[in-house]
Amino acid sequence: MKKKLFCAALCASLVASMMTGCGQSSGTSSSSTEEQSQGDTQDGESAKDGGAANTTEEGKLVYWSMWEATEPQGQAISQAVEAFTADTGIEVDLQFKGRTGIREGLSPALEAGTAIDLFDEDIDRVNTTWSAYLMDLEELVKASDYESTASQGLIAACREVGGGTLKSIPYQPNVFAFFYNTEIFEAAGVTKAPATWAELLDACEKIKAAGYTPITCDDAYITSMFGFHMSRLVGEPAVEAIVKEGKWDDPAVKKTAEDYAELAAKGYFSETIEGNVWPAGQNSELALGTAAMYLNGSWLPNEVKDIATFKWGCFSYPALEGGVDGVDAANYGAQVFAINKDSKNADSAFQLIEYITKGEYDKVLSELSVGIPADTRNTQWPEMLESVKPVMESMKVRYPWAAGAEANADLTPIIKENFLKLCGGTMSAQEFVDAMASAGK
Amino acid sequence: MKKNKTMIIAFTAPAVLMFIIVFLYPICRTLAMSFFKIEGVTDDVSKWSFVGISNFIRLFQTKLFLTSMWNMFRIWLVGGILVMCLALLFAVIITSGIRFKSFFRAVIYMPNIVSAVALATMWLQYVYSPKFGLLKSVFATLHLDGLAKIQYLDTTNKFWALLFAYCFGMVGYHMLIFASGIERIGAEYYEAATLDGANKVRQFYYITLPLLKGVIKTNITMWSVSSVAFFVWSQLFSTVTADTATITPMVYMYLQIFGAGNSVTERNAGLGAAIGVLLSICVVIIFWVCNLALKDDDIEF
Repeated sequence: MKKKLFCAALCASLVASMMTGCGQSSGTSSSSTEEQSQGDTQDGESAKDGGAANTTEEGKLVYWSMWEATEPQGQAISQAVEAFTADTGIEVDLQFKGRTGIREGLSPALEAGTAIDLFDEDIDRVNTTWSAYLMDLEELVKASDYESTASQGLIAACREVGGGTLKSIPYQPNVFAFFYNTEIFEAAGVTKAPATWAELLDACEKIKAAGYTPITCDDAYITSMFGFHMSRLVGEPAVEAIVKEGKWDDPAVKKTAEDYAELAAKGYFSETIEGNVWPAGQNSELALGTAAMYLNGSWLPNEVKDIATFKWGCFSYPALEGGVDGVDAANYGAQVFAINKDSKNADSAFQLIEYITKGEYDKVLSELSVGIPADTRNTQWPEMLESVKPVMESMKVRYPWAAGAEANADLTPIIKENFLKLCGGTMSAQEFVDAMASAGK
Repeated sequence: MKKNKTMIIAFTAPAVLMFIIVFLYPICRTLAMSFFKIEGVTDDVSKWSFVGISNFIRLFQTKLFLTSMWNMFRIWLVGGILVMCLALLFAVIITSGIRFKSFFRAVIYMPNIVSAVALATMWLQYVYSPKFGLLKSVFATLHLDGLAKIQYLDTTNKFWALLFAYCFGMVGYHMLIFASGIERIGAEYYEAATLDGANKVRQFYYITLPLLKGVIKTNITMWSVSSVAFFVWSQLFSTVTADTATITPMVYMYLQIFGAGNSVTERNAGLGAAIGVLLSICVVIIFWVCNLALKDDDIEF
């Protein structure tokens, strides 16, 4: 009997030691304003809750951020959080998860009952993929009169993707447009940013004659050119339908292919466009001043600020003759903050969101990241983005990423491959249409 | 005996328990998931909807998935032959008593201790760059203008550029395993063979190769596992959105589970699980064929 008891005790101690061993790894790249040990205890506690509803510890905020601690946005947010804690006495466990970290980890963490009060990511991902975890923020927004100093267009976009109600707060606004080197435009004698396709062709001709590459791109963004052109012709919902349902016999596909084949044939693209793996085109062509234009997001000047020395220009993707959409349509949006619907600290979480997206720290974020301010009172945009302001303010129709061209994950790589070939001049317009038709079957 | 049984149970229970929780449960869950449509990978079972084998059928009807399988097969076969041959050659040279053995061994192994991200950046931005890349500069200096003009990263050449860069890093790893196998073979066999008049090539074919059977099997298995799990290099060679030239089943699985690129696309963790099941079957088949082809050697040395 004694031996049995001894065995049981041994066994129990073995299991216990194993469990303690497992429990100690918290596995986060946390940059907490608190001691790490506290974070661990909390992890342990929430693990005990198992699959129960997400319970967050009252008083202390847990914020999962999409940024890395080392990038400008992360630095600005760290500063804001530090000041917030000093001002309000509310402690914040700020965890920088990075893009992939939050994309892969947030949903499982929330499902497992991890205490997270607020998080941030792209407007579409938060409102679509994570819609089940979002708190309705209408009341909080009304109570603090948040909207009076926020971009109406972006708030409207958030309401739209939130299913008619506001479940996220936009910050770090961005817009997808052609970014160009004004010095090359001047040298080539292009005085006005192109607003129509004919004007774009004209500008390209002059730039080429002046000895520069008119347009460059990288593999990562090439589908946006296809998506924008198609959306200008038939509107974004039609593009999504073509991509998702394989309607490649639509005349818009042929027209787009022909327009791009013309650009390629006339030598308006970089010679290496087919082999440009990001960031080769943006860094070694656009930023170094050999290429004039690049269709990209307003984060581009920040990404190449250490290389590019010229003054930036920006114009919306040109309108096409007989097309549905004009220059007031583009992929514009923002990163957004959202509060976990099970958070017990909604008020202080919203307070933190306000702290980061309004006034002083919105300005700090804008300056450090060369980004667009979210607070409309911060009228001073970073110098590099001055030309983006009129483009951003003219936007009325919102496209999703790549203007719908990437809506079908099974097809994106195939569009990318064939469109690269089209731009590189190794494929004709008809071959492009045929290749897409056979891939879409 | 009865007492012993209790002891056995008491001491094996924790390990068995952990094995069940950490290995058996995920395997069974993944297998079950492959027959369901599941949006989020951690969704509650109540949210799963049963679809039978339609996940598998859909995979075999999806051109992109078939492309990814074809890419994986090419990486495994072409890369495998290249890496195994080079690794074996280097291992033989290194163990043949050359000078500065440790130096060469360290040099060949070095890519393994450098992060894949750094290595891929080096290949992409410095070696293959069509503007100032190593290949371009070397060929231009040699006045081989045709070769200097090749865009190594365009849609036609990207796969081979990726494969070469990947193999470059893998040779050292497999060389070390081969070298340790060769070093286990006693020097007296070679001495006897030399006295009998066998040259180095015959010694390699009649002594080294047969005695390396076990090691070759280990190397093939490890190469197969890393080929099936090919992910990081593919991601690095096609940032943000996947590429037909570099996509592998693991990348395709990622797209299905977490969404593709920057856009919000349909997610199906069940489809991801089905890919996992198919890949496991691939590894099991390779392992089984290897075991059949390279029977455990009954030679003792």
